[in-house]
Amino acid sequence: MSNDELRSRFTPKPTGMTFDYHRQLWQARFSPAGDYIIAPAYDATVQRWKVTGTEFTMLAPYLGHHGWVQCVAFTPDNHRVLTADSWGQLCCWPLSDDVINPEWSNNEAHDGWIRALAISPDGTLAATAGNDCCIRIWTLIDGKLRTELKQPHKIFSLAFHPIEPMILAGDLRGVIRQWDLMSNSEVRQFDASALYQFHNIQECGGVRHIAVRSDGAQLVCGGQKTPQGGFAQGLPCALVFDWANGGLIQEMQVGTLDDGFAYDACFHPQGFVMACSCAFPGKGHVWFWQPGQDSAFYSSNEIPNGRSLSLHPDGRQLALMVSLSANGNGRVLEDGKYVGGSAKVHILELS
Amino acid sequence: MSATPLCNSWEHRISRRRWFGAAGTAAGLCCVPTALFQTALSEELRAQEKQAILIWLDGGMSQLESWDPKPNTEFGGPFRAIPTSVPGVHVSELLPKTSQQMHHLALLRSVSTRDNSHSAGVARINRGDPKDRGVVYPYLGSAVAKLLGPTQSGLPPYVWIKPGGGGFKASDAGFLGAKYGALALGDGKPPQNLLLPAEISPEENDLRLELRAKFNQRYAAGRRRAWTDADSHVFDIAQTLMQRLDLFDESTVNESDRCRYGTHELGRHLLLARRMLEAGVRFVKVNSYHWDSHGDNFNASDSLVRQFDQPFAALIEDLHQRSMLDHVLVIVMSEFGRTPKINSHVGRDHWPEAWSICMAGAGLRRGVVVGRTNDLGTFVEDQPHDIGHLFHTWFRALGLNDEAMTYDNGGQPLPVANEDCGPIAELLA
Repeated sequence: MSNDELRSRFTPKPTGMTFDYHRQLWQARFSPAGDYIIAPAYDATVQRWKVTGTEFTMLAPYLGHHGWVQCVAFTPDNHRVLTADSWGQLCCWPLSDDVINPEWSNNEAHDGWIRALAISPDGTLAATAGNDCCIRIWTLIDGKLRTELKQPHKIFSLAFHPIEPMILAGDLRGVIRQWDLMSNSEVRQFDASALYQFHNIQECGGVRHIAVRSDGAQLVCGGQKTPQGGFAQGLPCALVFDWANGGLIQEMQVGTLDDGFAYDACFHPQGFVMACSCAFPGKGHVWFWQPGQDSAFYSSNEIPNGRSLSLHPDGRQLALMVSLSANGNGRVLEDGKYVGGSAKVHILELS
Repeated sequence: MSATPLCNSWEHRISRRRWFGAAGTAAGLCCVPTALFQTALSEELRAQEKQAILIWLDGGMSQLESWDPKPNTEFGGPFRAIPTSVPGVHVSELLPKTSQQMHHLALLRSVSTRDNSHSAGVARINRGDPKDRGVVYPYLGSAVAKLLGPTQSGLPPYVWIKPGGGGFKASDAGFLGAKYGALALGDGKPPQNLLLPAEISPEENDLRLELRAKFNQRYAAGRRRAWTDADSHVFDIAQTLMQRLDLFDESTVNESDRCRYGTHELGRHLLLARRMLEAGVRFVKVNSYHWDSHGDNFNASDSLVRQFDQPFAALIEDLHQRSMLDHVLVIVMSEFGRTPKINSHVGRDHWPEAWSICMAGAGLRRGVVVGRTNDLGTFVEDQPHDIGHLFHTWFRALGLNDEAMTYDNGGQPLPVANEDCGPIAELLA
């Protein structure tokens, strides 16, 4: 399809449906059946909303994590959800309205910050990775460690291949390693080094997110082009690779040099990439881009600072979670109180 | 500088600098064997002389990712707190090596200062926020250079190890005059042209020095003495340093030390700082830049704080093992801390309201934490402490009578630290 055709069919429209959380969230994901939105938060909680048609009802959160809960993943059968936190804890929860106790929990799944979590297409395995440079593969039903794979640098992102027994891990240095889960060996690397830079005295950037197209033919990763320290401003960027030959198909840069990271990127069933970026107030685009086209067919920062995008299984609703936390030096008080950031989830409609 | 401020005799100054460079190079032939100087400065002698090192983390280190973690709270961020060698005291997990040196350290967690901008904060913190009397106060290093002078080593009293270029930085000295400025070692390298060319003999060099003295006399006539003194002082410094070229000789660095401090910029510079202190430099400042993590603060801290942790822990360990912590004051600070609030760019902004300074060594108690912030880390509970309190504390720790001493600014007595403040008794040994 041409960009014009894609634009006419898939330009998202605000529905006016939003819901808030008074602290910041990392993601807001529809469950595979579309009946829940699960949102890991900065406050060590996992927030939940029940989705009934166009109604979003807040449920009791999952508690018991520490630090930041940054990761969430669902089993394909919609029965379980896994969450992981920055203190190294991994939890498996039943996906239900009322049960808020974990089926199992491992508070030493990693030494410190778990940055990525994924569940295998058949729902039997979970993979975690993080600052300890390890990928750990767990048997999902009981939380037992099956395999450990070591990498040289911090790992920020993970994705199982939907067809082959492979897992991909994106690291701080902009390397995506492909591991064969049958032999537990590294098969090859994808070069996402455009998303890393040693700037001044700081290691910057990294592969912040990976997603694989449902047919397994392409993968997309998100981050920032030649990232810098300090204000960490730069061009949000998503890279699309060809699975067959490992080559780069498209470098998708959106926004301006004073923007931030592409924190989330995924494939629409039609094959185009949906991504969002987040930075300082007013920055951060949502964009849709068909690999092979020269430009995005949709790009907007009308709703800025998108931290995550999640497509409802019906393909019509898109949950865009945005960060609401202004920057500012020094004492800024609201009604005499020092107030932190919050989050809002916008439900957009895709025609 | 000319006696008349309107006369900018740049040609004089440039030619003089060039002359100094050449003359300084020539003077190197007088180089005294290294071992002689190393033994001349006995442990006993050094123990009587207070020294100081200031580690300046420019841009603002996050107190929440270092000295005052608030794990699992609204603004606490992703990192854990870890126990230290002092029971009950925790620091961020990004300081694993430093945590094991905590019994040597003194933390002040109740720092509350005035400026939330770099431009105002850097100067005010470095000058101790004195009362405004229409004069520019010296930075801490220049103040100590003035108040204590060089040690008996004769080495420059104020050495600044910094990334980028070097040279003599007079601006730190404020009203004290250029003489008390910093000798900056750009990227830890010795000043340019320090070595005497091999083709110049000692006899020829003596002739050069005589000629220099004559030029000096003629140049000084009609000029302000403070400036001509400063020029001569810089030359004298160069001559002294030429006798300690071993300090810059990488081949003399112990491989184990190189590993312990790390080969990154701050590691190399802190190792050089230790060597400078061992050699007898009175005050060493080490700057590290790019700590201003408005965006992606937590990945930045994971990268930056660890770069500090390794060599700082090694420095404290070494100073202790050499019994130098008894007479070397160690200070780690920035111009402010960082906001508890985490902005949308996952960064922290500038926060002077409640932050921390780490100290160790001469005149200070060890293994103590003074002051505290509230449970969220947003504000200081109980008594806040401004930089004026710290200047009093540091002067007192260095054996100076901070309340009675004054600078003489051309006949105008000026207090050495803000007289509305006093030393923090809980920090002093």
